[in-house]
Amino acid sequence: MTPFLATMLVIHVIGGVIAIGIHNVTLMHLLKKSPNYVFLSRIAWAAVALFFLSWATSAYYYVTYYGTAVKPRILAGALPAGHIFFMETKEHIFLVLPFLALSIALCISYLRTNPDDALRKSTAFLTLIALGIGAATAGAGIIVSGSV
Amino acid sequence: MWYELLIIMHIIGTVLGVGSATFAEIHYTRFNSDDIITDDEKKTLALTYTVMRTGLFLLVVSGFGLLLYLRLTEYTDLLTSATFLAKMTVIGVLVGNALLLQARIMPFAVGAALSLTSWYTALVLGSLRDVDASYIEILIYYAGAVVVVGGALRLIRAHFHGPKNV
Repeated sequence: MTPFLATMLVIHVIGGVIAIGIHNVTLMHLLKKSPNYVFLSRIAWAAVALFFLSWATSAYYYVTYYGTAVKPRILAGALPAGHIFFMETKEHIFLVLPFLALSIALCISYLRTNPDDALRKSTAFLTLIALGIGAATAGAGIIVSGSV
Repeated sequence: MWYELLIIMHIIGTVLGVGSATFAEIHYTRFNSDDIITDDEKKTLALTYTVMRTGLFLLVVSGFGLLLYLRLTEYTDLLTSATFLAKMTVIGVLVGNALLLQARIMPFAVGAALSLTSWYTALVLGSLRDVDASYIEILIYYAGAVVVVGGALRLIRAHFHGPKNV
């Protein structure tokens, strides 16, 4: 693996993990009756940027390296399910995450000027779904790496 | 050098988490002995929980950093070991427990026992590296430890509680 590809992989993982952590913090605050929407909108938009960055770097890594150098090794190894199930699931479900993050950030930006308890609860639920998908994606990534 | 930095960060995260989880219990037991938690006591508890969250953040970020290091150096056997997967599960429980406590869905006594046991379990699993037990066996020991710690915390709180309110 070239240093550039290694950098892409590092940005993908660290960017994704921090974005998932931000959704965790966002959810904790949205569960309060009067959250600080100024702070929340800032971190929610940071999560959007990080998810798109993580998405773009992983796409580059996948297209230029994973498919030709990593995937055949996983399929020939002891845990082919690492690609057949976990990577296949991850690469499709992960497509949803940046757009979920975008929806959350838009909702929070709206709440900043128009506080609404019902929307706060709905946004908290959406963030919980994003957090669950994010955690599952991270878990799948660990299993894929462990299958190499 | 990266490996050493990540290990140091991981240890600092664990130390902050285990230490603050321990002191959260000590402070709560001490402050709640008269059934009244003053504003100053609330601030002390809030600060302790902030340190705990900082520890969790450092632990998770350095943990993923270490995973990346192992992936880039092609030493990936650890990623599918029972100890490692059990530790990841325990960290997941810690995060889920914090969310459930915040949403007031999790009873405080259960949440406190889960938090304290999970932090110590993460410390022990990280120290032992590899144990002669399967993933399920480790989780059964962990569940048993949660029950024991929950019972011990209940006894300790009853012991230090003011006599009028017992």
